[in-house]
Amino acid sequence: MAAEASRWSGLRNAAILLLLWEIVGRLDLVAGGALPGLTEILHRLWIDRADYPLHIWATLYASGLGFVIGNLVGIAAGVIFALFPAALRVFRGVNIAVFALPPIAIAPILVLTLSGMAPRVTLAAMGVYFVTMTATVIGITQADSRARDLIRAYGGGRWDVLRLVQLRGAVPAILAGLRVAAPNAVLGAILAEFGGGGRWGLGTYLLGSLGRGEPDRLWGIGLVATVIAGLSYAGFALLSRRMLGASRAVTLNAAVPEAAPAKLSPVPRLLLGLAAIAMPFLLWWGFIRLTGVPDLISKTPWGVIDYLFLGRSAESAQARLLAALAETLPITFVGMLAGLGFAFLLAISSRLFPRAIAAFMPVALITQTMPLVALTPLLVLILGRGTTLTLWVTISVTFFPAFVTLAQGLALVPRSAEELPRAYGASRWTEIRMVTIPASLPYLFAATRLTVPRALLGVMIAEWLATGKGLGNLLNQSRGFLDYGMIWSVAAVSVALSVLFYQIVVVIERRVLRRVGMSSAE
Amino acid sequence: MTLRLTRRGFLGTAAAAAANPLLPRSALAATPLTMQAAWINDAEFAGYFLAMDEGYYAAEGLDLGYLSGGPDVIPESTIIAGRADLALTTPDTTIKAIAEQGAPFKIIGAQYQKNPIGIVSLVSNPIAEPRDLIGKTLAVPPVNVISVNAMLKLNGIDPSQVNIVPYAYDPTPLIKGEIDASLDFTTNVPYTIGQQGVEATSFLLYDFGFTIYNDTVVVTEEVLAEKRDLLIAWLRASRKGWEENFKDPAAWPPKWADSHFKGTGRTIDNEVFFNTAQQPLIESPSGIFAMTGEDIEKNLSALGEVGIVGSHDMFDTSLLDAL
Repeated sequence: MAAEASRWSGLRNAAILLLLWEIVGRLDLVAGGALPGLTEILHRLWIDRADYPLHIWATLYASGLGFVIGNLVGIAAGVIFALFPAALRVFRGVNIAVFALPPIAIAPILVLTLSGMAPRVTLAAMGVYFVTMTATVIGITQADSRARDLIRAYGGGRWDVLRLVQLRGAVPAILAGLRVAAPNAVLGAILAEFGGGGRWGLGTYLLGSLGRGEPDRLWGIGLVATVIAGLSYAGFALLSRRMLGASRAVTLNAAVPEAAPAKLSPVPRLLLGLAAIAMPFLLWWGFIRLTGVPDLISKTPWGVIDYLFLGRSAESAQARLLAALAETLPITFVGMLAGLGFAFLLAISSRLFPRAIAAFMPVALITQTMPLVALTPLLVLILGRGTTLTLWVTISVTFFPAFVTLAQGLALVPRSAEELPRAYGASRWTEIRMVTIPASLPYLFAATRLTVPRALLGVMIAEWLATGKGLGNLLNQSRGFLDYGMIWSVAAVSVALSVLFYQIVVVIERRVLRRVGMSSAE
Repeated sequence: MTLRLTRRGFLGTAAAAAANPLLPRSALAATPLTMQAAWINDAEFAGYFLAMDEGYYAAEGLDLGYLSGGPDVIPESTIIAGRADLALTTPDTTIKAIAEQGAPFKIIGAQYQKNPIGIVSLVSNPIAEPRDLIGKTLAVPPVNVISVNAMLKLNGIDPSQVNIVPYAYDPTPLIKGEIDASLDFTTNVPYTIGQQGVEATSFLLYDFGFTIYNDTVVVTEEVLAEKRDLLIAWLRASRKGWEENFKDPAAWPPKWADSHFKGTGRTIDNEVFFNTAQQPLIESPSGIFAMTGEDIEKNLSALGEVGIVGSHDMFDTSLLDAL
């Protein structure tokens, strides 16, 4: 009965939101009509209906293929990393680098080196890999150690533990990962379509439509992208709900996590560390050699060093890069904290006010799937071209993955632990403060790690499309000047920065989790 | 009985075909040649679509591959990577790359004798000449900032007196008054703005001293050496396509509603406007794609103003002469 009532109130809230949108749009209240009413958008969709099928098909094909490839690689890598911590160490640099590569920087490179649909599929897959890989590792390492002991006690080997306990235990986390990954794949494909000069795809349609100055068309394309992403999101959410019921622990795992595998002596440890640093550069070098793209366009790691420090324009390049960094970095920090804070508030609220959050979720999803290239000209009308705009864009690209990770962590807190304070008459808030938040600490750190590179990406998108400052602008200008050295330098520096922030978070995470006796979701 | 193609048999047949000069040209296999366009399909490339559809390339023995462009597609990069034989580029970018990076490019023709980019504003808040830009907000695609700075400098205006912001391909901020003007193709955007019930005005950067071509036809030196005849054939067929197109600029776009212009998000009326507006910018008394010594000089001196030092040997007019 209660479930039925909450479903109705959820629908009611959604209806209120839609009605509000319609009124605001019809009366041209936002930015002189840049936000059209919902029925105006639907009407426009109907008029344009003949245009859509081929574009939708192209986007579905690219994002679907990218989603499958990215997830297969992500899950396989996640399993390997969870089983062989050494592999995780060696590939750490690569993992963060893949996630931190700004799509706006690599899209032209991919367009150049790969042909046909490949750039779109690759960009979609790259948007998916990290989320799924991380979720898999978290899921496997957080598996109930008592169940593991049980299998061992009955003579089960490493493989049995993996098959019977860890993989099953990891399913909820993997599903949560897939849920976040789905909109990422769609966005990645659309971004590559937008820039890549193909004939079909929603991104191509968006580019052709942007110049028309018709917000209702742009919102229509955004809506279609949202429906595609939303359906895949809903599919995995449903799957996750059905499977979670059976695999959630009903009591708190009180066992102290196993100590980290036998301490490595300094020499192998140093070697692993060096390998982690060298690995991304090796792959970078290998990619260029493999694609056989001429040196003028593709810069190897050595090419970038040469450009930044040794070449004849090195001084000017350094100065431009440093000036751009000085504009980009401060706002990135602020945006990251704001996005994370918003996600945390949202996750906590979803426990306290599940209905309000349920009604908010469709809106949140739109911010994830409405392509930023379409949204930014409209956001400019509302927010101007200053810091406010950059902050909002950054929050909108960071909060969603962080929120899903946090919400997943909160949902996995065993019920018995939550019921304890309740039995003592504690308020819902006390219960959250004393049990839910501490228990979800590993997920808070995981969410922070997700947020770090995305914040940089959000700031760069805003700089590229609206404010004309910093790294985002430098990157775009370099593209027009055929300044390949700078294009690769910006990508390399932004990745290096993301890796650095990431490492800082990891160090803090280790200290804190060790103190509270939890194991990190590394 | 199975049919087997032996190496010797194949070579023999090929030699026989090559040795028979009486064989009509069309009976020989067409030679592939790929071009990289500068943007997504619109009237900017009408001459090529026409030449493709009417078989002008096939008649020249070409099997033309056509790659459309987009914001991330740097046309010059595509020819460096060998994925296209020729590209339509902006001459400032190309000449800068040759001069500063030693890129092995040659310009063999120019589609636009006058660059169609200009400053677009609303009649209600008109920007009629560069001087009017002082103290105003102008949206410019980051790639074109260098062109705008050149034009301002040529007109004695310090670029810091104009508030330049990025242009995100959408005229809505201009229509809503968030910006005072934007830099765009004057052949296209005034129509779009008119569709929104607002009247637009514009001037070309070309008419205020920034006298450069656009959509210059660029090849690598290697392709120029190896495929010279094919490039001449391409220029001949493309010129014929453009000439046919301009006999009636309103005639062809409607025919492509279900092919080249299907689902581009733009309207056929828009393409007709575009096609009509670009006619005086493309046509030249010396023939389409012409590069006269005088015009090359104009390009070089305009680019020299912004520190891009080009030279006459970056242009190769010998292919046009052979048409």
